[in-house]
Amino acid sequence: MNSILKFYIASFFTIFICIYSAMEYVDNQIRDLGLLLIDIGSILISSGASTDRTRKTVNRISGAYGFQTDMFITHRAIMLTVHGTVHEQTYSIVKRTNPHLVNFKIVSGISRMSWKVVEENWDLNKIRDEINRLISLPPYHRWLVTLMIGLAGASFCRLFGGGIIEMLVALVATSAGFIIRHVATKRKYNPYLCVYFAALTASLISGLSVKLNIGVSPELAFATSVLFLIPGVPLINAFSDIIDGNPMNAIIRAINGLTIAFAIALGLLTAMIVYQL
Amino acid sequence: MEILQLFEKSFWFGTAALGFAFLFNVPQRVLLFIWLFGFGGGFVKLLTVEMGVNVVLATLFGSIFIGIMAIPAAHTRHAPPLVFTIPTVIPMVPGVYAYNMMLGIIKLAGNANNPEYIQILSETVSNGLNMFFILLAISAGASFPLLIMRKESVKDIKLFRRKLN
Repeated sequence: MNSILKFYIASFFTIFICIYSAMEYVDNQIRDLGLLLIDIGSILISSGASTDRTRKTVNRISGAYGFQTDMFITHRAIMLTVHGTVHEQTYSIVKRTNPHLVNFKIVSGISRMSWKVVEENWDLNKIRDEINRLISLPPYHRWLVTLMIGLAGASFCRLFGGGIIEMLVALVATSAGFIIRHVATKRKYNPYLCVYFAALTASLISGLSVKLNIGVSPELAFATSVLFLIPGVPLINAFSDIIDGNPMNAIIRAINGLTIAFAIALGLLTAMIVYQL
Repeated sequence: MEILQLFEKSFWFGTAALGFAFLFNVPQRVLLFIWLFGFGGGFVKLLTVEMGVNVVLATLFGSIFIGIMAIPAAHTRHAPPLVFTIPTVIPMVPGVYAYNMMLGIIKLAGNANNPEYIQILSETVSNGLNMFFILLAISAGASFPLLIMRKESVKDIKLFRRKLN
């Protein structure tokens, strides 16, 4: 009798420990997954993906592991809850995202990775390694970007009818504005102030050609030299957000874009006052 | 406009798109496509303007062209469509309208007894509305294909998938 009781107690404890460790394992897995998913979400939002794309990518990855994820996404913070579909564990976490800096290498890399996770059954460590690799990818060389953005400024000038001299002025002004923006961003000035400094620099340089009356229609170079600052990503993402049914994020993005546009206009205005145009 | 000038302006559309592609740090494998789509979108826009279409509608056509072309490219190059559409539609942004509107607003804020006040007001409103509608056309055109196909992701659009794989 006594030995049977001992056997029952022992087997009860064994089963209990088994279940407990299994639950512990699921808990750990759901926690690791939640931490990974919120990192992916915050990286996507801050590199210029729209709200819907962020939500879909995160859901695709969590679906591959059999978990359901609900998210509350705002401009600078993400809340996320992972539900287990078999065990009733949940894991919730809030994270503040990084300052926004458009980087399509990361957006396309994570999107590409999310399909591989579904099709090739990646484990969490592999995803973590891939994200670290994507973040550490070097950007294009700074002087190459400066040259290309200068060429874009010259192209804008040509598109609105400028000649070769106006294009050269736009190229120099745009490149200088871009360098100033880079320096100001590195010194951690307010982002809108960075845009203002860049617009001011570009329009001070191109305004000089208006003042000295170089070329046929120097106002074109003056108007187009600040166009490299236009908030294209916030405005287009605002539109796709409102269509996808995220009106709150759309309003935030639109106001962000309008504030940038206001900063550009303020820079132009300052240059006009300086040169008394 | 001569056909040569049309191609020349489209070339600058492509170059401007490429500049923004470098600014947004797109992957190297899509750079050529971005130049091509910038060229194509600009060509469609200029051609329709040449045919006598309103500039707002012409911009809509140009950006719809870019939005549609981005779908097969997204399949072959393994990048989401927004990587292709955002840098290529930005050269269509109506910079000179915005500049003229800003100048108009500054004049309007200055002196209310100006005899040309009403004329400046109507020009400013016209420039501002044009700018606003062109911006709307750009964003609507870029997301047009996904709206029409009613699919969650470009990977689900079977029409293109069957052709390519």
